Amino acid sequence: MMFLSLFVVLGEIYLKKKVFSFGLACLVCCLILVACSTSKNVSEKAEDSVTMKREELILAVGAEPETGFDPTTGWGRYGSPLFQSTLFKRDDELAIVNDLASGYDVSEDGKVWIVKIRDDVKFSDGVPLTAADVQFTFETALTNGSVVDFNVVKKVEATDEYTVKFTLKEAQSTFINALVATGIVPKHAYGDDYAGNPIGSGPFQLIQWDKGQQLIVEANPEYYDPIPFFKKVTFIFLNEDAAFAAAQAGQVDVAYIPASFSQLNVLNMRLEAVKTVDNRGIAFPFVKSGEVSSTGLPVGNDVTADRAIRKAINLAIDREALVDGVLNGHGTPAYTSVDGLPWWNPESVHADADLDGAQKILAEAGWKDNDHDGTLEKEGLKAEFSLYYPADDLTRQSLAITVADMMKPLGINIIIEGESWDTIEKKMYSNAVLMGWGSHDPLEMYNVYSSEEAGVDYYNTGFYKNETVDTYFEKALNATNEKEANEYWKKAQWDGSTGLSAKGDAPWAWLVNIDHLYLVNDRLDIGNQRIHPHGHGWPVTDNLVDWKWNK
Amino acid sequence: MNKHALISIGIYLLKKVLRIASLLFAICLISFLLIKSSPIDPIQAYVGADMIKVGPEQREKIAEYWGVDKPVIEQFWSWGTAILAGDLGTSMIYRRPVSEIIGERFLHSLSLMITAWVFSGIIGFVMGVIAAMKRNTWIDRLIKGYCYILASTPTFWMGLLLLIIFAVSLGWFPIGLGVPVGVLADDVTLWDRVRHLILPAATLSIVGVGNVALHTRQKLMDVLDSEYVLFARARGEQGFVLFWRHGLRNIAIPAITLQFAAFSELFGGAILAEQVFSYPGLGQATVEAGLRGDVPLLLGLVILSALFVFIGNLIADLIYHLLDPRMREGRTL
Repeated sequence: MMFLSLFVVLGEIYLKKKVFSFGLACLVCCLILVACSTSKNVSEKAEDSVTMKREELILAVGAEPETGFDPTTGWGRYGSPLFQSTLFKRDDELAIVNDLASGYDVSEDGKVWIVKIRDDVKFSDGVPLTAADVQFTFETALTNGSVVDFNVVKKVEATDEYTVKFTLKEAQSTFINALVATGIVPKHAYGDDYAGNPIGSGPFQLIQWDKGQQLIVEANPEYYDPIPFFKKVTFIFLNEDAAFAAAQAGQVDVAYIPASFSQLNVLNMRLEAVKTVDNRGIAFPFVKSGEVSSTGLPVGNDVTADRAIRKAINLAIDREALVDGVLNGHGTPAYTSVDGLPWWNPESVHADADLDGAQKILAEAGWKDNDHDGTLEKEGLKAEFSLYYPADDLTRQSLAITVADMMKPLGINIIIEGESWDTIEKKMYSNAVLMGWGSHDPLEMYNVYSSEEAGVDYYNTGFYKNETVDTYFEKALNATNEKEANEYWKKAQWDGSTGLSAKGDAPWAWLVNIDHLYLVNDRLDIGNQRIHPHGHGWPVTDNLVDWKWNK
Repeated sequence: MNKHALISIGIYLLKKVLRIASLLFAICLISFLLIKSSPIDPIQAYVGADMIKVGPEQREKIAEYWGVDKPVIEQFWSWGTAILAGDLGTSMIYRRPVSEIIGERFLHSLSLMITAWVFSGIIGFVMGVIAAMKRNTWIDRLIKGYCYILASTPTFWMGLLLLIIFAVSLGWFPIGLGVPVGVLADDVTLWDRVRHLILPAATLSIVGVGNVALHTRQKLMDVLDSEYVLFARARGEQGFVLFWRHGLRNIAIPAITLQFAAFSELFGGAILAEQVFSYPGLGQATVEAGLRGDVPLLLGLVILSALFVFIGNLIADLIYHLLDPRMREGRTL
C-alpha cells in the first residue's frame, strides 16, 4: 500500500512537472498586482546592497552536481570547474588558449601529445601542481566508470616534472577538448571524500556544501591568474520554476528560467538571452527500408530516403517563424549542428520558407498528387512519414506540430508521435526523430554524421553515409592542430559540391538553436557570454572570474 | 499470571517481528523486479544529457562498474546479501553510500513530517469535535466546507499558493531550501531552520486536517446519537463536560488509528511539498532515484518508508492497549 503510494507519487511528479510550470505561470500572473505593491522595498534592499559594494553573489543557475566536485567523475565539463583548473581553456571566441599548460605538441601521426605545464601553479593547500598530478587525474578518470569517456587514451606518462605525454590509440584532433574539460586533481589530496572536499588550483575554493541545497565558495588566494572580483559566491540548487520565484523575491543575482517565463518582468533584473548551439532538428532515415540494425531494429524509410523530400522540407521550413512562434523569439534559425562555432561553415546557410522552390524540387523528382487527397505520390508511394518526439518535452512537441503544419501545403504528410525515449530508441532508425545536440567538441559532428557511427546508440540514427564526408572526417581527426582540423570540419559540411549540410545531402533538417535565458541583476556585468552548449544552467559560469558590478 | 503475561508479550513481539521481516522481504523483491522491468535504462539515465560525449565503450564500463550487466536475480542476490550485512550499497547518482544519503536527508524530512503531523492531528481533531458538537450550525458548515475543499486540493498546488503569497509577494519566508542562503553552517540559528520549515509544514498541515476532522466529526456524531449520551443528557450533562466524560475516549481510538495510518500519506505528501520548496529531504532523493533508475537508493528509501509506516501502525497498536482496557483484557485472555 505504502509502496504503491510511493510509486503513484513518483508518477504524479513526473506528470505534473509540466502542470507545475503552467500552474506557477498562472499564479504568477494572478499575483502580479500583489507583487507590485510590495516590490518597492525589495528594490530598496537591492540598492542598499550595491552601495555596500558587496563582493558576494547568489546564483540559481543549475541543478546540483549530485556526484560532487570530482572532475574525474564528470564535474566541471559544463561551465567553470570553479575549484580546479584545466590544461587548456576556450576564450570568448571559443579558441583554445593555455591555462595550466604552457604549450603542446602533437606528433606527425597525431597519436602522441606532449603537453608542457606551468611551473608556478599551486593547489589551494599550497602544494605545487606537477605533471604527476595530471597523469594521476587522467588515470583515475579512466577507471572510474563514469560519464567521463577517455577510452581513446592508451597511456599517460609524466616524462619530467612539468611535461606530460599522452599516447592515444588512434589519432584524434578533438582530444584537445578532453584537456579543456578536465580539471586537474591533486594526487596527494585525492581520496574517497574528494568529491565533497575538492582541493584544486582553480579560482575558487569550497567553503561549504549543504547537500541538496547550496554551495558556498570563496576566492582562492593561491590562484595564479587575477583573483576574481567576487570573493564569495553562493550557488543555490533550485529547479527553473523555483529559481524564477527566487528572482521575483529578489533573493538571487542570477537565475536560469524557462522560455515560458520570458515575458514576465522582474524588478531590478534584466533578461539575458544567451546564444547557443543547443539545437533541435529532424533526423531523417537516410537509407531505404529493408535493413536491420545490429541490435535487430528496422532501419531505413522509403520516403525520407528520397533526397528530394529531405531537400524540399529543408527549403520549405520557415525557421524564423519557428523561432518567433515556438520560442517567443528567444532563439536563432539552425542550419547545422554547429552554428557559430569555429568549425562551422557559414556557407551552409541557405534560403528557406520557400514553398515554390520546394514544390519545384518535388515535381522534378516525380512526386505528384494523382488522387487529389492533398498528399503527393510517386510510384505508388505516399509522401508520408512519422516524426517522433519525446512526449515530455513541450518545445519539441510544438516544433514537431508546427513543422508538420508547414509541410501540409507542400503535400508532405508528417504524422507526429509523442513517445518516451525508450520507445523512440526502437523507432529511431526507421522514422524521423526530433533530436537535439550541441557541444563545444567537433567530435559530436563526427558522431552524428560519420558512417562509422551509424546505428551506434543515438549517433547517426539515419544511417547517413557519404564517402567524401567520411574522408574529410578522417582528415580532420588526423590533423595535428585545431586550425587545420577546422578546415576539414567545414568542408565536411559543404565543400562546394557535396556535404552533410542541407545544401548537400540534407540528412537532417535543422530547425532552431534555443537561447538560454537568465534573469540577471541589473547592475551585474556577466561579461561576454560564449555560445552555450546543450544544457541550460552551469555554462553561464564559464567566465565567472570576469563578472563584476557595472560602474 | 505474571509468567503468562510475559509469554504472551513474547509471542506478540515475535509475531510482529516475523511480520515485518516477511513484509520487508516481499517489498524488496517486488520493488526490485518492478524497477528492473521498468523501461528506464539505468545507464541511459545515469549518462543523461552527457550522451553526446559518452561512447558505447564507456557505457559498457559504466555497466560493469555498477554491476548492472549481470542477470537480475544475481543482482538481487548480491544486493540482498549486502543488506543482511548492513550495507545498503552505493547510490549511482550520488556516488556515496546510500545509508549516508538517507541519514542526512531523513533528519530534514523527519522534522518536517513530525511538525506537520502533530499540527494536522491536533487541529483536525479539534475541528472535528467542534463541528460535531455544534452540528448543523454555521460553524459546522464552515468546517465541513473547508474540509471538502481541502480534500480535493493537491499538496503541490497548496504549496505553490503559499510560496507565491508568503515567500514571493510578501517576502515573509524564504522561497525554499532548509537553511539560509550563503550563511555558514556555524552561523545558522535554530530560528533560521524553523523559518525554513514553516511553509512546507504549513502546506502539509493545511492539507492534512481535512481527513482527520471529517472522520472525527462523523464518529463523534455517532457517539452523540447513542443511548448512553441520551441518558447523560437526561441527567443534565452538556457541552464540554458531556464531551469530556463520554465523547473523548470513544472517539480517541479511531482518531489515533487514522492519524497513525496517515503516516504513509504523510510520506507521500512530504515528497510533493519538498519538491515545491526545494527542501532537501527524502522527497528530492526519492524522485531522483525513481526517475533515474538508481536502484540501491530507491530500495533503501522503500525499506525506510516501509519501516516508517510499520512503526506508525505498531505505535497505534500499543496506544490502543494503553487507552482501551477492553483490548488489554482481550490479549491476556
